[in-house]
Amino acid sequence: MSWYRTRVEGDLAKWQSAGWVTEAGVAAIKADLASRRPTIGAATIFAVLGAILFGFAVMSLANWNAMSKLARLSLLLAALWACYGGAAYVFARRLEAFAHSAVLGGIAVYGAGIKLVAQMYHMHGNPPDADLLWALGALLAAVLARSRAALAAALVLLSSWARLERELSADPHWIFLAPWVAAIAVAASLRWRPGLHLAALSLLTWLVPLGYYALDNHAHWVVVVIGGGIALTGAGLTVPAIERRVGVSQAVIAYGLAVAFAGLYIMQFVDDIALFGPRDAQPLGQVAALAAVTLILLVGAMYLALATDNRGLLWLAFAAFALQIFSLYSRMVGTQLETSLFFLVAALFAGVLAWAAYRLHLRQARASEASA
Amino acid sequence: MTISRKALFAVAMAVIALAQTGVLAYMATDRVQLLRDGREITLPVETIYVYPGDPLRGDYVQLMYPVGRVPLNVLEDAKARRNEVFYVVLERRNGNPWQPVEWHRSMPLPDGADRLVMRGRSDTATPIPSHRLPLIRYGIESYVVPQGEGEKLQAASRSKKLAVLVAVDKGGNAAIKGLIIDGKLQYEEPLF
Repeated sequence: MSWYRTRVEGDLAKWQSAGWVTEAGVAAIKADLASRRPTIGAATIFAVLGAILFGFAVMSLANWNAMSKLARLSLLLAALWACYGGAAYVFARRLEAFAHSAVLGGIAVYGAGIKLVAQMYHMHGNPPDADLLWALGALLAAVLARSRAALAAALVLLSSWARLERELSADPHWIFLAPWVAAIAVAASLRWRPGLHLAALSLLTWLVPLGYYALDNHAHWVVVVIGGGIALTGAGLTVPAIERRVGVSQAVIAYGLAVAFAGLYIMQFVDDIALFGPRDAQPLGQVAALAAVTLILLVGAMYLALATDNRGLLWLAFAAFALQIFSLYSRMVGTQLETSLFFLVAALFAGVLAWAAYRLHLRQARASEASA
Repeated sequence: MTISRKALFAVAMAVIALAQTGVLAYMATDRVQLLRDGREITLPVETIYVYPGDPLRGDYVQLMYPVGRVPLNVLEDAKARRNEVFYVVLERRNGNPWQPVEWHRSMPLPDGADRLVMRGRSDTATPIPSHRLPLIRYGIESYVVPQGEGEKLQAASRSKKLAVLVAVDKGGNAAIKGLIIDGKLQYEEPLF
């Protein structure tokens, strides 16, 4: 039973006893809930797991020198066709979930095939190319089979491709954005919301390390600016006409905050030695200013989240706040600030937050009274 | 579900399988063609690193060639990004081994009897320190031999008796055809 159904049924009992919903209404709602098919069932999970394990089995074949190259390749192609043929067969028997796991199995075999051929013929030209070829094959399957699993695989592979290429070339690798845009278009055309989130995460894996590869290789402010830009774009998307159709503005704001915070965090705690010199000699003013900017940004995000009922943003801001405070604490302990003083400051911050939340609550209560 | 939806899905499956088969077949045939028709040259090995493997994988060996060290002063504009594609001109003079003499960003003039182009990628960090010789990878830097035979190769390389038979095609792509120990071809790579 899905969590949504459990929740609605719990609420229904309350609403019925309050007399807001008739008995017939309750029965109709329950019937509707029961008629909805679960999106992810145990069978799907096991089928997907099987597809992935099958891929690993084929990949181990790549090392099997007892067979000739032609025999290994033939076996692999037979497995590839069996996967897609099997997919078509079970799809015709209305087992769509299994058909899509078979497609995923086909993608796994295809990727194993790329590695197999590369290994058999000692191809080492540019290793990321293999991931790109694999990702494009998965994207093709996502489009043609309208397969969500294939799209997820494509996004993971695209991120892996970009990471490899970036590390090898020490270059931002802007071309990543081209297949990424294609992937997000596919996610939108499949009307698959988790796919959009996955695409956002995949973009994050490319955006956050960008500072290391852009300009002077420590340009994390670029990441902060881009994150801010994404958040502002999200705020701009709150146009009712757009929001009614897709409802992405809240998520876009949250992802923008995540990117901006990641950039600030890297500046303060990860790449700080390159930016500000050795840890015990960093200019306190700059470090403190950066920490203050981060904390103000996070408190602002919390305020916005409370005001607009953006739950994702709220949790993200809380988690980032905790991480920021913890990292500051680990940095400061025993150096510039005494532990107790540090906690006092943190407690004051929390107090200010609580006060802001309370004021907001009061204002909302008054507003709802006024409108009632 | 209508019949046409089933048929559509089946067609989609066939298109995906065909496309992916095509990619794999192209990869393999392209490589076979390079190995079969490419120009054969022998490149001496400078250093070899052996990573012991297992009975299924075999030993993984990493090969470094003198031709991988390309002097900076022969590059057109003396600046290279990491992993950038380069075309290196090799020349052979008076029966000596092949030497890198020029490197370019685009394909230079065609080959001659003692002149040949290999496509590679730079392997150094930006910017290249001017006093060091940058390394170029040609895609022929690793190889797998049966388990336990890596040591034999290492011994051969120490006494300067290890070389690699390489096939190079018109586009400068290179592939290992086999290893040569003391002038004798070993581990010849089967095409199929």
